[in-house]
Amino acid sequence: MTAPEDAVARARAAAAEMRAQGAYADARAAEPAAPATELKLYQWAIVEPDVSWVRSTRRFGAPITALKRLLLRLLVQYHVQLIADQTRFNVTLLGHVQRLEARIAELEARLGEDDESPAGGAR
Amino acid sequence: MIRVHQLLSGAGPHDAITTEALAFRALFAAWGWGGADHAYRIAPGLGGGIAPAERLRADPGDVLLLHHSAGWPRLGELLALPNRKLLLYHNVTPPGLLWEHAPVVAAHCAAGREQLAELVAAVDVAAADSAFNAAELTQLGAERPEVIPLLIALDALGPGRDGSAPDPPAPPTVMFVGRLSPHKGQEPLIRAFAQYRRHRAPEARLSLVGDPISAGYEQFLRRLADTLAPGAVSIESGLPAGELGGRYRAAHVFACLSEHEGFCIPLLEAFHFGVPVIARAAGAVPEVLGDAGILVEDRDPAVIAELLHLVAGDVELRTELRRRAQRRLGRYEPGPIGERLRAAVEATLAA
Repeated sequence: MTAPEDAVARARAAAAEMRAQGAYADARAAEPAAPATELKLYQWAIVEPDVSWVRSTRRFGAPITALKRLLLRLLVQYHVQLIADQTRFNVTLLGHVQRLEARIAELEARLGEDDESPAGGAR
Repeated sequence: MIRVHQLLSGAGPHDAITTEALAFRALFAAWGWGGADHAYRIAPGLGGGIAPAERLRADPGDVLLLHHSAGWPRLGELLALPNRKLLLYHNVTPPGLLWEHAPVVAAHCAAGREQLAELVAAVDVAAADSAFNAAELTQLGAERPEVIPLLIALDALGPGRDGSAPDPPAPPTVMFVGRLSPHKGQEPLIRAFAQYRRHRAPEARLSLVGDPISAGYEQFLRRLADTLAPGAVSIESGLPAGELGGRYRAAHVFACLSEHEGFCIPLLEAFHFGVPVIARAAGAVPEVLGDAGILVEDRDPAVIAELLHLVAGDVELRTELRRRAQRRLGRYEPGPIGERLRAAVEATLAA
């Protein structure tokens, strides 16, 4: 019998043995979620709702889905304005944060230079 | 008469915290206590029992029991109420894993994490449903937070496994129960299951049960399953308790690769049905699982696949895990948990 405490070690050994025989060639761990990149943040900042997300989750909900999508079409002018305002804010804010980050990096670089100079630390 | 009003940031029909709040209310009623239960966001389909937060009417002497698991709208107004307050912390999912697929939920979680320090500072007594969660409260300045494990009614799912019952019929069935969400680990489970199926058990099946965090994420999981293990993965949402019990009874292994758990009730449900458990050692999982399951740190799908193969096929190992699971369940008997809850409310009144 395998004791529960030994099971993982036994599974590791079995996986290694199987790999040696050519199995599990494509078994790779999924990449861990990375922090959002600048590119991803810009992608999220630009609001582009997909009308296919609008649906009814009820059984026989097709007429309700159709009604919801009709309402969206009737309100399209309002939503275009709303989306434009939100996107403007998002993109402007991201740009602002980017400039602040660049400024911080510049100041940190300068601080590093000062620390390395003979008068460093005398400020 | 003691009156306790419970407040939840959100409530839903398959939500563990909502279920616990309703179980607490039944206890309060049995103790002759009054009060009512409210939530700021109520999902459709919940039925009765939880009223909108706007309808809260509390006398100054009433206790407010705040179940914290996500961001609260208008928290300042709530904390400004003159009532004594008991915080019960269920943990808040780190938002990092949720921004991509469920930005609104991620925003609620980000707010919830930010608000925790404010809550700890404002309440009279702080408690948590696991030692893992209590440690976070301690870091924020709470003094010796009480641990009140989640109150669960396993019998609602149906009778547990008869000790002499045979294993479910083939094919080997792996299952996991939990919200279909990036942090719950269904994606790595599908990948590992596909390897298990390819190299060890071609007829194996995977049963995933849980409400999707978003329609898009459910579609992503379905596409992944159709690509890696076509026809072998079932994804079901909104199952009534009896049907969920049936899924457990048909399973050979319960595999939880979740990245974050403040408690993880399905581990105890698996114990109840005698389903051996493999779980990633994340959050409160090691604490709840104890020695009654197999904790795994590995992210290699081949190792997970081999563990599935081992646990599904080794009769003596399965028997030993079931024996330990039955013993472990004794820690979560409703009676002592109810007593801890009662003591925490009385401490709040006395604070």
